[in-house]
Amino acid sequence: MTTTRRNLFKLTGGAAVGAMLTPAPWRLITDSALWSENWPGIPRPRRGEVTFQFGNCSLCPAGCAVRARCVANQPVSLAGVAAHPLSHGALCAFGIAGHHLPYHPGRLKSGPAAEANQAVRAALGQLRGAERCAVLDLRPGRTASWTYRRAMAAIRNGVYLAPAAPIAINLAAAKTVFSLGAPLFDGWGTPGNVIAARDHFRLIQAEPVESRTAIMADLWLPIRPGSEEALALGIANLLLKEKKIAGLPAGFADRLREFPPTMAAMHSGIGEQQIAALARELQDNGPVLVLGENGSPYAAALNLILGAPGRTLVLRREAPVPDDWKKAAPVADLASVPDGSIRVLLIDESATGEALPWSAIQSKLAEKAVVVTFAWSKEGYGRQAAFTLPTAVYPESLDDIPPAVDSPAAAFRLSAAWVAPPDGVVNPADFVAGLAGLAAKDALQERAAAIRKSGRGSLFVPSSATSTPARDVKPDDFWKMLQAGATWIDDLDANAPAPKLDVPALPAGTASSAFPLVVVVTEPDTPALVSPLLSKVYQESNLRLAPESVALHPSDARACGLETGSRARLETDCGSVAVNVTVDSDVPPGVVQVAGGPGIRKICGASSRARVVRS
Amino acid sequence: MANAMSDQADKELISRGLKRCSTPRFVLWMLPWVALLIFGLYAAGLCLVKGLNQTNMDNRFAFGLWIFLDLTVIALGAGAFFTGFLVYILKLRELRAVINSAVVIGLVCYSGAVAVLMVDVGQPLRAWFTFWYPNVHSMLTEVTFCITCYLTVLAIEYLPIVLKNRKLREVPAFLVFEFQLHKLTYVLAGVGTFLSFFHQGSLGGLYGVLRGRPFAFREGFFVWPSIFFLFIISAAAVGPSFILLTTCLVQKISRKRLVRVEVLRLLGRISGLMLAVYVLAKTVDTLIWINRTSPERGFPASQYYSWNPFGTWILFAEIVLFGLVPALVLLTPRLRARTGWLVAAAAMACGGVALNRFVMTVQTLALPTLSFDRFLSYAPSWQETGTFLAVVAYGVLVYSFSFRYFRLFPDERELQAAVPPTDTREADPILAGRY
Amino acid sequence: MTNPNKPVKAARYGMAIDIDRCTGCGACMVACAVENNVPPAHAGANDRKGITWIRVYKVDNGGDGDGRRSAFVPVLCQQCGNETPCVHVCPQQAVDVDPATGIVGQMPERCLGCRYCMAACPYHARYFNWWDPAWPAGMEKTFNPDVAPRMRGVVEKCNFCHGRWHAARQQATAEGKPDTEPVAYLPACAEACPTQAISFGDLNDEAGVTAAAARGRDSFRLLEKLDTDPKIHYISKREWVRRIADAPRPGDGKESRRG
Repeated sequence: MTTTRRNLFKLTGGAAVGAMLTPAPWRLITDSALWSENWPGIPRPRRGEVTFQFGNCSLCPAGCAVRARCVANQPVSLAGVAAHPLSHGALCAFGIAGHHLPYHPGRLKSGPAAEANQAVRAALGQLRGAERCAVLDLRPGRTASWTYRRAMAAIRNGVYLAPAAPIAINLAAAKTVFSLGAPLFDGWGTPGNVIAARDHFRLIQAEPVESRTAIMADLWLPIRPGSEEALALGIANLLLKEKKIAGLPAGFADRLREFPPTMAAMHSGIGEQQIAALARELQDNGPVLVLGENGSPYAAALNLILGAPGRTLVLRREAPVPDDWKKAAPVADLASVPDGSIRVLLIDESATGEALPWSAIQSKLAEKAVVVTFAWSKEGYGRQAAFTLPTAVYPESLDDIPPAVDSPAAAFRLSAAWVAPPDGVVNPADFVAGLAGLAAKDALQERAAAIRKSGRGSLFVPSSATSTPARDVKPDDFWKMLQAGATWIDDLDANAPAPKLDVPALPAGTASSAFPLVVVVTEPDTPALVSPLLSKVYQESNLRLAPESVALHPSDARACGLETGSRARLETDCGSVAVNVTVDSDVPPGVVQVAGGPGIRKICGASSRARVVRS
Repeated sequence: MANAMSDQADKELISRGLKRCSTPRFVLWMLPWVALLIFGLYAAGLCLVKGLNQTNMDNRFAFGLWIFLDLTVIALGAGAFFTGFLVYILKLRELRAVINSAVVIGLVCYSGAVAVLMVDVGQPLRAWFTFWYPNVHSMLTEVTFCITCYLTVLAIEYLPIVLKNRKLREVPAFLVFEFQLHKLTYVLAGVGTFLSFFHQGSLGGLYGVLRGRPFAFREGFFVWPSIFFLFIISAAAVGPSFILLTTCLVQKISRKRLVRVEVLRLLGRISGLMLAVYVLAKTVDTLIWINRTSPERGFPASQYYSWNPFGTWILFAEIVLFGLVPALVLLTPRLRARTGWLVAAAAMACGGVALNRFVMTVQTLALPTLSFDRFLSYAPSWQETGTFLAVVAYGVLVYSFSFRYFRLFPDERELQAAVPPTDTREADPILAGRY
Repeated sequence: MTNPNKPVKAARYGMAIDIDRCTGCGACMVACAVENNVPPAHAGANDRKGITWIRVYKVDNGGDGDGRRSAFVPVLCQQCGNETPCVHVCPQQAVDVDPATGIVGQMPERCLGCRYCMAACPYHARYFNWWDPAWPAGMEKTFNPDVAPRMRGVVEKCNFCHGRWHAARQQATAEGKPDTEPVAYLPACAEACPTQAISFGDLNDEAGVTAAAARGRDSFRLLEKLDTDPKIHYISKREWVRRIADAPRPGDGKESRRG
């Protein structure tokens, strides 16, 4: 038999028909759908062993406990630790995506470390007379802070500068909380602690804007912008009724006379009767806690009048330190340094806390001062400093977090180093210690040993959700457990003396027409970097105001010639910063709502006034 | 020399007895449309390569200019099936004068709409999934199947027109094939009507079944909401009007009489009749919707028209101004006799259907559904507009080509003969090539 | 694998969200994006083009000035139980309702990107990938291995963290639990909420916290009259908050830009 072309065609045709009756071609067609699914260029998740590791979040002083789900030792998601006595399982939006920060595009990976070192040493060698070398620490109380203090004690004319914070708040002891615009539910203290204590106190929020805290409050007093002083003094008048109380600043009595309840009502827009009822409530429903913006003298004065010290205000305590550390430099205030006397300034802004306006710092700098800042990005003091040295960011470094403002007991907890930092980063404590010839590499371990030696307090272990008295934990285990995310919490001292409340001086009347808008900060201070996923709450939903943004009422925006999306400059008497503008009819007229961030906080203090100028 | 030869070759493609402009003039006419097509293809290419972020559609305005124009264009192209139905099933022989033109318009409208749909979806390569994993509950499945089938039908109906070309007829195989196809005409017309009935309706059904959008949702008969039937009737109403408009336009551009004026009036009358039925049905449907369907779902109808710029004027415009008025004009023989009124009424009818499609696509999505929603506005980006202009250019190019080389208007030769020839060459039948 | 001969007790997973406890912090939104490998916003994205499987809206009582009161409402896929609109309209069955859990699952690999489901959803819970997803260099190391990232041109939405349900199911099987019983698990948003405003559970479990809250007097669902039978129940003691579940108010010319 010969094979002809016709045979071949018959075979092929029959095979084709036969193949159609098999699953093969249909499966191939279906499978092609799978090929279209995995486009090149879409990254694939990595596989690996899944483990859970514990640590604490160092993005803000709250230091909330974190449980990280790790794949091949890389954190892929973070969650709170439900049974934790301080944070109660809460993590804020920034903390939940904190594991993205090492990959943030704005994050610095290398810097002029050698040049900075050289410049600093040269300047230190040339210190004349009363010129100082200063370290400005934005988050004092850490072990690194002690290293700075020890180093400054060893260096001639070394001074350690940090914001003073001698008072801690015992929220659980409060029955009534009167807040003059404090963001209780928006980045204040430890979120989990505030939420856990919420059902036990009545919250009265006096604020011109309906902030998140105002929405959650039992009573929101929509006061006119800038009238906190009037309201506070009006209430003080009713509470004091000619009584005298020690500890109030000079001029307080005079100011009191300026704001009797009628004037208070007129300025604030709150009726006299309501102010009277408020004063009665504060008097009768104690213990009372009065909160205000940072450094607000009105809140402090009211706290003094209402007897908060010793009840809702307690002495701020730190975890114990080794005895030989106590010979360190004292904590000094920037204001106490003479103008033009700082020749070398080292700023540690790698741990966010209270930022100081650059204008206040600048006046203290000598000519030819060398300024080095240790930061995650160039957006903070990097805009003014000569040298910006990158540090490890949140999940890359083992660091301790001092207790938050609402922690009445001392606490010691560490943030874990889950991710390896890039090679070019600098450890600021090592840098400064190196200048003073200090060996401080094991400072954390030394401090842990000192805490254990004190025999006080208890250790909360997140993996088992149990608390053990510290003295029942073996010293070796103590350090290991701290590194694995445990938290040491001191015992509360029932007989602790009431703290002495220093009421700051009252500010001079400002009402400047040059700065017509009252600044209301409606978003918490964000860390220097936030995960790119925060775009979900910023531009992808308009739920929150993005950092370095302001919101204006339509009439104010029109007056400034601005609309949503405009670039502008927010100017105060402390400086100016570039911002994005949003027009929002929910903003009261006369107010500029700002979102905290490294730039904004450096120009806005308590009760700031500002103007917004098109750039 | 070469020019003259190509001119001669071109002339041989043109049907005998039909006068068409010279080749260079034809090229000059086509050039700007080709340029527009290229620009439009570039816009569409941007959307395919860079993604749909090139458009101004967003999560709330999931459908935009393209869907609105697709629906409009398919409604206007309904003339193809409806005229076929009238000629081959209802035996209205006079309309044979426009059936070829209607088929070309239909082909252009449908193929253009399908092309735009391919750009509109996020994953055009997965278009075949609808055929492979169809969802019997979904109106869109029905639309996809019917439109692709109908496009095939239109292509098959277009073939005879192409094959009747003077030069192509010289190929025996084509002649035989065309003859065989001729026998299928009635079947094709029937199938086309059946398919069109369903997809025109399903395009309306797309919106009528949206339980989550009370503005669009309607009750109906069995699985078909009332909009299903309203869309069919309105498409049938506007089909003849659009053919009327395009025929008048082509007559004007080519400066020739292509159809008898009675045919135009007949088209107008049919359109008017269907339009009147549509307006009646639509009014009843709207009243039921306002008083029962929408309030029962918790949405009082008044709030739909409380947002600028979509006040109640839009409802009035759609049903009365661009619905009832042209219907009455087209049904009045005295007015129908005047070409100006005829054309104006046909244009208003087309406008009314376009407005109706706009209301169903754009207004539905603009209106809020949740109490904390906002009323939204949307304006198409240049890429979206460009893509659609490509379809327009494509349509003009295909139609111009077909008009020049194929016999779209069977009565043209007769009507040209009625005009005394100015050219002696034309007067002689043999020299003029009419044999 | 479930034994086909044993009757499986179907779960109806749902939520009870306490609006009086929601502070609008957005932790749920970020946690959801972390869990489901949602990309960060493209440069051109705004609140109408972003991808937020759960989105917190700011609502108000319509008052003016001092009379205005606001609240925050997290909105996610309502997992409609009755004639689910998106399931009915998808031309290629890229959405289905899982009878064992009641979860409405979206299959991005089947999705054509026609966006018909987005037009059908009255809760605006569906999001389209207008851009190719892009992450900063290195951030892809933080992907959740249980969820596949999507490509551009497809629709995605909340699926009650179906990957977590699956992991819980496997865990239960590994522990020898009978696979006819529904498993307990928490989606990322419920786990992340600092005030525990989001309660998640099996609505068929009458004794459970979520079902009890959903049955409470102060509980309501969005757009009840549309008859979609959503599984997300909202709770508020405030009457004006309960009114936000109704249809929109007629336009009053006021433009609210937030949320």
